[in-house]
Parts: sequence; structure tokens; C-alpha cells
Amino acid sequence: MGSVLAAAPPSPAPAAAGGSQGVPGLVSVPPGFTMPSVSSVPPTSGSGQQSADADSPLPNPGTYEECHRKCKEVFPLQMEGVRLVVNKGLSNHFQVSHTVTLSTLGDSGYRFGSTYVGSKQTGPAESFPVMVGDMDNTGSLNAQIIHQLTSAVRSKIAIQTQQHKFVNWQCDMECRGEDFTAAVTLGNPDVLVGSGILVGHYLQSITPALALGGELVYHRRPGEEGAVTSLLGRYTGDNYVATLTLGGAGAHATYYHKASDQQSTRMQDTTASFGYQLDVPKANFLFKGTVDSNWVVGATLEKKLVPLPLTLALGAFLNHRKNKFQCGFGVTIG
Amino acid sequence: MGSVLALSSGPGHHNCPPRWERRDGRLPNPGSFHSLHRSCKDVFPQQIEGVKMILNKTLSSFFKVSHTLHLSAVSPSYYRFHVEHLQSDDYSKDKDAPALIGEMDSSGSLNAHALLHVTERVRARTVFQTQQSQFVTWQFETEYRGNDFTTAVTVANPDVLRESVILVAHFLQSVSSGLVLGGELVYHRGRAEEGGILTLAGQYSRPNWVATLNAGKGGAHASYYHRANKQIQVGVEFEASTRTQETTTSFGYQMELPEANMVFRGMINSRCIIGGVLEKRLTPLPATLIMGAFVNHRGDKLQVGLGINVG
Repeated sequence: MGSVLAAAPPSPAPAAAGGSQGVPGLVSVPPGFTMPSVSSVPPTSGSGQQSADADSPLPNPGTYEECHRKCKEVFPLQMEGVRLVVNKGLSNHFQVSHTVTLSTLGDSGYRFGSTYVGSKQTGPAESFPVMVGDMDNTGSLNAQIIHQLTSAVRSKIAIQTQQHKFVNWQCDMECRGEDFTAAVTLGNPDVLVGSGILVGHYLQSITPALALGGELVYHRRPGEEGAVTSLLGRYTGDNYVATLTLGGAGAHATYYHKASDQQSTRMQDTTASFGYQLDVPKANFLFKGTVDSNWVVGATLEKKLVPLPLTLALGAFLNHRKNKFQCGFGVTIG
Repeated sequence: MGSVLALSSGPGHHNCPPRWERRDGRLPNPGSFHSLHRSCKDVFPQQIEGVKMILNKTLSSFFKVSHTLHLSAVSPSYYRFHVEHLQSDDYSKDKDAPALIGEMDSSGSLNAHALLHVTERVRARTVFQTQQSQFVTWQFETEYRGNDFTTAVTVANPDVLRESVILVAHFLQSVSSGLVLGGELVYHRGRAEEGGILTLAGQYSRPNWVATLNAGKGGAHASYYHRANKQIQVGVEFEASTRTQETTTSFGYQMELPEANMVFRGMINSRCIIGGVLEKRLTPLPATLIMGAFVNHRGDKLQVGLGINVG
């Protein structure tokens, strides 16, 4: 039945996909919840102030978090135990998923997730509002609401609880201009205690290939307050993207390269891990591998079993230094 | 029950040729004592853990080699080299064909079996097993196959210095076309103690099912194997031991889908262990993918395994 395209959170994974900007104290987006990947808002015509060249307007640079995400997606996720995912589309607006996880290390559990996509269509693949909710068998909740308030402003509210205790609650607002993106996030505001985190992002297209931006994180707790800034630069070539983040906590650089038509891609990361992804769409086959400077080798293989709507995933990670090994497999239906 | 090791490790599962097919009026030979429960045991999935890659290579019609690489989370990982020299081509079909088998581990553990047909009716078998540098098992067995009976004598771990030995004697007799009766006598002797245990065995077979019972002072072991149709086989097993004062009942089934090149084996246990293993032949390639998981609900433990057999 209908498939929901706008918000497609990956199945809640232990590795947090969003919020990995390398800055401590930043409220990380709950794992599995990132802004839906959106095509850039078409630049409005008639405002020639920011574009240096009137003939080719600068494109919108995308969001701040997306810069490193393309690289992270190439790396395989650590799998262990057995996982069964059943996705069911109930209508064009509503999708439901059941996940049963049997784990060798942690707890086994059942998770129920549902996604609702509204009817305000802003583009070919996006509709708003998007509401995503996820509940565990222990009562942990992940909830997110994303809504497009005006044609340039989008807002998101996200809440995460660990059983009955609230762990994360944040609200953010993002404004997309012709060739810039600005966002403000308020994380875990607590009026009673007087604490909270305020994050501001700004990303500007300088040339069609180069985008520069910055991030300011202000955190406050009773007794102390502080701010951390970091700068981001991104250069896009024909078939590669290089991103560099410099901040108070160090540097994070990613390089994403699309090697050939067969879509074999390679990544290099200054924190010294190398990952690659081999995609063979004709065989419905996706292989991701990684080698790390911590002597960790891992790989994941995903294969769609074509006549049935089934995807089989096999994965194994081996830490040579600690001599630890983990393997797992999962089946996704629907 | 006797603690004598039998040659039960092999690349594939195998069912004994059915005994009820003899038509000439004479009673068939009942086979060896170790294979009494084998048809039921073959239905159960084998516990699989970690990632195992097996590469089989046939060098000639008599010489086979296999390399095994096992990466495991709970036990040390190893590489194992296995070589078989067969005196005839039938080893995969008949476990008792003459062969020399050797297996060496990356930690230095050796496993060696030699099976000889001395004459048409007399067979000899020798087994040596070491754990790194220490010998764990050394046993010698002689088996005589008569027209409708089998006797075997095994000397296990004879140690002149420590004055210890384990002697096992087996006897099986075909009483009627479906019924086999027999017994096992285990005599063990150490410096400080000696003792003997007698176990009686009986097996009744029909074209679609086999029921076996071993009962003695050491405990009881009963198994029932049923072939429901070409695709489904079912086995039920009951084990009781007076030494550990425990009983276990297991139920297992095997489902074969030859069109899909798939075999699935599942089992459930009275110890709250549930397991399943799926084997799929990836047809254009000479490879088999094995995926299995065992859950122990009582201890809330899960073991997951993946394997690939090439060749």
C-alpha cells in the first residue's frame, strides 16, 4: 500500500546517525531521527543581492547536519543478534513497523513504530506535517513532529524518554533562504532548574561548489554556562564531496567519493576509519565494509530476496585488538 | 551410558539405509550400536555460533581436503585443516566405509580416525584425539558383522602406567524384520575403583518410523523418528541420566524444500532451549549458506551463527 517517503527514519540503530558534529555538549538528535532528506528549496527569483552572478543563482546549501551524513551512510552498522522487522503501509499517509530484536549482549525487545505524513505537499517527495513515534516494550518513547510552517521555515519537535524518564526534549526552527540555511535549536530547556542548550547553525553557499558555515552552541546549567563554536566548510566536486569541521573539540573531516558507475564509493575520515560501499542493484545486493585505526574490521551485506518483499541482512564485526567478535543477521519484511 | 566416542562428525547428515528393505527372507545385519539413535539425531539442528567458513576441496576421488575458519564470540577462533583419504568412494553415503581421516587445529589439537576393513566381516577402527599437546582419547575398536548380528569390542584409553582402561562390548541381534535387540557392557577400571554398567537396547523400525530405547543402570535414552512425507521428518528424544539426576525431552523437525534448495531444522527442548538452523544452497555457486540461532529462555541467552560452505 502507500509508502511514506518524506520521513524515513532508519530502524533505530545503536550508532547515532545525526548529531555527530564532534562537539561535546550538543544535544544529539535521538538515534534514528534525522531531518528527512529533502531536495533543496528552489531559490526564489528576483532577489539578486546575495548571488554574485545573476545568470546562475547559488543553490541552497542544505542543512548543517546533512554535511557529514552522506559519508556516515557508507559505513556499516554494527549488527548483533537476530532482528526481524515488519513494515506495513496502512495508507498513503500512515505506515507502521514492528521490530523484534533478540540480542546476545543486551536486552531483547519488541518495538512498535508508526509514521504519519500529512497532506500539505511541498514537493514531489515531501509532505508535511510528519509525525514519527516509536515505543519500546520497556516503555521508552521516541517521538518527533516535523512541520513546514511557511515556504521557507520548517520546525521540528523531538522527545525521547528512557522508560518513564524524559531524556531529550528539543525544538528547532530552520529557515532556508535562497543560498543560505539558518537554524536554531533549543535543547532540554528546563525552566525550574535553569538549564538548557541553545544551538545556532548557519550555512552559506559562496560559490556553486563551496559552502561555508558555522555553529554556536551555548549551554547553561545552574552555576556554569559556556559556549562552543565551530566552523564548517564543504566543497563539492563532480563526483566527490569534502567536508571539514573545525571546532573547540577538534577537527572532523570527511571525504566522499563516487568511484565508478557501479557506484562503488570510498570514504576517508581524519579520525582514521575507512569505509566503502558496493552497490549492485541488478543483483539487489548492497555490501558495506569498514576498516578502522582501532583495528576494527566490519562488514554488512544486504540482499533483497526479489520475488518476496524480504530483505536479508548479515553483518559481522571483529575487533582484532581486543579479540572480540560480533555477528548478527536480520530480516526485514515489507 | 558408555563414554566411548564414535565417528559421528561428518560433513553432512545421513540416514542409515533402511533395514526393512531386505526381501530375501533372511534377517538383515543390524548395523553398529552407535547408529541406533542416529536417524533421530540427524533431524535436530546442530548448535552454530559465530561465523564459520568451510572450504571443501576434492583433490581426487579418494582424497578430500577441507579448510575451516571459525570466528567466534564465546570461544577462541580457530583454523582447522581436515583431510580424508578414502579407500572407496562411498564415505559420504556409508559412514563405515574404510577411510583415514585427520584433522589439525590452529592450536595444535589433532583428531585422527582410521577405519579399516580387515576382512569382509571384520572391521577395525582407531581413534586418537589430542587437546594441544595432551592426549585425550586413544581407543581401538574391532567389530564383527555376522549375517544378522553385530558384535564389537572397544578398548578406550588403556593406560598401563596408571592402570586404567575402559572396555566396552556391544552386541546387536536382528530378531525379526523390524526388531533389533542388543546390549552394551561398559567396564571401567582405575587405580582406585572399577565398575561395570549394563545397558539393554531395542529398536523397532517400520517403513515410516523408527523407535529406539536404551535402558540400563546409568539411565535411559529413548528416541522416536517419523517421516511424515517427503519433506518433513520429525524426531522426539528423551534422555535420563542417573548420574546427573536429570531428564531432558527434545522435539525436533526437519523440513526440506528441494525446489528452493533449502533445509530447515528446528528444535525445542524441556530445558527451554529453542533453536533453528536454515541451510540454503546458493545454486549457481557451489556454496551453501547456513544461518542459525539458539535461544535459551531460562538463562535469556542467545547464540547466533552464520556459516558458508564452499565446495
